Amino acid sequence: MANTVIGSSIVIDGEITGEESLTILGTVKGKISTAQSVVVEAAATVEADVDAQTVLISGKVTGNVTAREKLELRPEAKMVGNAKAPRIVVADGATFKGNVDMDV
Amino acid sequence: MADKETVIGVETRISGEIRGDEDLVVKGRVDGKIHLSQALTVEKGAIVQADVDVRTLVVAGTLVGSIVASESVHLQPTARVVGDLASPRVMMEAGAAYRGRVDMGEVEAARAAVASRAVAKPAASSSEAAKTRPAPPRVAATPRTVAPVASTTKIAPRFVAPPAGDRTAAAPVSAPPAFPRVAGAANSAAPAWAKKKIRRR
Repeated sequence: MANTVIGSSIVIDGEITGEESLTILGTVKGKISTAQSVVVEAAATVEADVDAQTVLISGKVTGNVTAREKLELRPEAKMVGNAKAPRIVVADGATFKGNVDMDV
Repeated sequence: MADKETVIGVETRISGEIRGDEDLVVKGRVDGKIHLSQALTVEKGAIVQADVDVRTLVVAGTLVGSIVASESVHLQPTARVVGDLASPRVMMEAGAAYRGRVDMGEVEAARAAVASRAVAKPAASSSEAAKTRPAPPRVAATPRTVAPVASTTKIAPRFVAPPAGDRTAAAPVSAPPAFPRVAGAANSAAPAWAKKKIRRR
C-alpha cells in the first residue's frame, strides 16, 4: 500500500521526492518524483510535473507526466499535459489533452 | 474530512509548504513550512526543518524551526527540537532534547511575531539560518535575547511531565500512547548533528 498519503484537505506547494508509493487525495502544486507509484484519487488536484514508475490518475492533473512503466487514466480522470510512458491506458470517459510519447 | 490520514512516509521528502485541515504524520522529511488546523506528529526518525503552526504538536523525531501550537506541544523522550516554541501547554519528557525559547503566554502574539520576522528579514530567521546545514544547530536557531538561561537543565524543572492519564488527554487526536515504529533503521536517516550535537552540551 501507499506509504505516503496526502489527505483531502491538505495542500502542498513545493516538491515531493521519494522512494515509495504516493497516494494523493488533496492538492499538490510543484513537482512530484518517486521511484514507486503515484495514485491521484478522484477528488485530488495535481498541478505538477510527475515522474514515477507507474502513474494512476482518477483525479485532475495539470502537468507533464512521465512514467517509467505505465500511465493509466481512469474514466474520471482529467489530464492536461504531455504524457510519456512505454504503456499508456486511457479509459473510456477520461479527458486528456497533450502529447503522447511512447518511445516508439 | 479524509478517510485516510495524511502520512509523509519514511522514504519521502517534501520541500515546500504544507497546509491543511487534518492530522499530519511525518515519518520522512519535510523542509519548508507546515500550517495545519489539526495535529502534527513528527515520528521517531523523521526530520522536519520547518516553521510549524498547528493546533497540537507531538514530536518524537527531529524538528528545527519556529513552533506555534495553539493547544499543546508534547516532546517525547526521543525528540530533538531546536527553535522557539509558543504554546499554552508544553510537555517535555525526560530524554527530550530542546533548545530555544519557550513562551506559554499569548500564542497569537507569538504567531504574529514569527510571521513578521519571516517577512522582515528572512535571512536572519532561525529557520533560515538552520537551513544552512550541516552547520550544527548550536549556531543556528539561538536568538539569545534572554541570558543563557536556555540551558535545558535550568529550564527542565519548570516543565513537569504530567501523569500518564493527563498526557494522553493532552494529545487527543493523533498521539497514540506508544509510537508504533521501532527504533533503529529509520533513525540512521538523521544527520549526524541531530544524533549527538544537542546532547553534547
